[in-house]
Amino acid sequence: MIALDLAVVMLLVVGCGFYLAGTIGLLRFPDLHSRLHALTKADNVGLMLVCAAMALASRSVRVALLLLIVWALALLASTVSAYLIARHAHMARGYRT
Amino acid sequence: MTAGTLLDFLIITGLVWLAWQVVAGRELFRAIIMFIALGLAMAVAWARLGAPDLALAEAAIGAGLTGAMLLATYRRLLEHNPAKGGQRYARSSRLALPVAVMSSLLVMLLGLTLVNIMPVEGEVAGQQAIQLMQAVPMENPVTGVLLLWRGYDTLLEMSALVAAWLALRILQPQDAATLPPLSSSIPLLQALLAAAVPIAVLVGGYLLHAGGKAPGGAFQAGAVLAGAGVLLGLTGSLQRSTRASRLLRAGVVLGLIVFSVLGLGQLAFGQPAFAIPGLWTIYLVEGALTVSIALTLLLLFLGSAGVRRPAP
Amino acid sequence: MTASLTLYMLAASVLAGLGIYGVLIAGHLLRKLLALNLLGMAVLLMLITLGARGTGAPDPVTQAMVITGIIISISATSLALALLLALQRVTDETHLDAEPLPPVGEDGDAAGSR
Repeated sequence: MIALDLAVVMLLVVGCGFYLAGTIGLLRFPDLHSRLHALTKADNVGLMLVCAAMALASRSVRVALLLLIVWALALLASTVSAYLIARHAHMARGYRT
Repeated sequence: MTAGTLLDFLIITGLVWLAWQVVAGRELFRAIIMFIALGLAMAVAWARLGAPDLALAEAAIGAGLTGAMLLATYRRLLEHNPAKGGQRYARSSRLALPVAVMSSLLVMLLGLTLVNIMPVEGEVAGQQAIQLMQAVPMENPVTGVLLLWRGYDTLLEMSALVAAWLALRILQPQDAATLPPLSSSIPLLQALLAAAVPIAVLVGGYLLHAGGKAPGGAFQAGAVLAGAGVLLGLTGSLQRSTRASRLLRAGVVLGLIVFSVLGLGQLAFGQPAFAIPGLWTIYLVEGALTVSIALTLLLLFLGSAGVRRPAP
Repeated sequence: MTASLTLYMLAASVLAGLGIYGVLIAGHLLRKLLALNLLGMAVLLMLITLGARGTGAPDPVTQAMVITGIIISISATSLALALLLALQRVTDETHLDAEPLPPVGEDGDAAGSR
């Protein structure tokens, strides 16, 4: 049990680290495409780790499956929105990378 | 300071900062985005205060649909007059700051006084409502209160939605200017639609069914279904129309009619009006309300009286 | 529990003040509408904080009232947006009695801070 709890804490800490990195990237990167890169990639991994931690902590298969769906939906939404933002910037040509 | 208080402190700091950005942000577009973020932060605050039903409603309606409406209106304003898009206006008012500070202090005084007065056990409206609802197996007290205890409120809020739609029919432009859809040839968007719309219908149905015992209910379900409609509208699969078909009009008033007929029908049996009996009527009313709420919210987002399929 | 309720009540009063300030200084009507919505949110937050006194989940009657409030505010907001679009169609303006500000520079100050 203690090993499991330790794993939960580790996953949470690493997941929050990914979120932190993604947010710093969003705030500090110079142009749109690098910001999108930081936001989507780092945050999706962060969400996966946090979801995995929650699933382990709940110790229930049902909750774990629900969290999996949550993660998959967030992936879908962030993929499409990142694509749309990048496509809009590309089409507008106003944005030089 | 416990971890819980620290969390509350963080949420509240976020709320106040976002609210300041909404009021004083430099660009209007940025202010709208901050308003959407504020709605989501408010949903977190309500989940923290122990009200998950409200968190769902706020995230779906207050942040999601209201935000989509604000952004769509912003775009329509720009399309009408692109030159004035960057123009900013302000009213110079010397009284604004003192008035705002005084009213804030007044609210603070009232609020802090009230929050320290503990409610008397047994005299809380919610507890009395729950006791009166013992006859109906409704595990989620919020859904129970909405339908059984405050039926008039629910009926009237449905009426408010329909009234907003009626006003929209008068205010809409008569030349049927359609909202230019995003190009529907974007392949990824079609993939999103193919995945998101069925899931939204499933989640809506689940929220409606779960409303009896878990967070959810007609309003949350209607908002999720309307969200799927908003996606269809943005991608051009549904288009605005100045005329509402007969079926659509029937759908908009379905909730009002079913609820009114069942509620007033109780008078014939010597019961008080809107004392909804039994579980099956609750599902009937909730289902009809969900359809009407979803349709009305979608039409309010589109800003038009009706929808139509795009011409092939 | 009481400590954090006090915090939420403080937040509600600050939000209400910001909302009133925003309504008074906003030039663009869309911004005024945002501020009005902010004021509404502050009232709903206050209601729920009061409903959460005592033990257990917040009072279900308060929660039902707040759900009603959320629905009413989206109805009113959509009506106001339709009115705003109609106003722009008729008068070509998006404000009532406000004066234009100079265009924003990189370091121009915020509209709200004057």
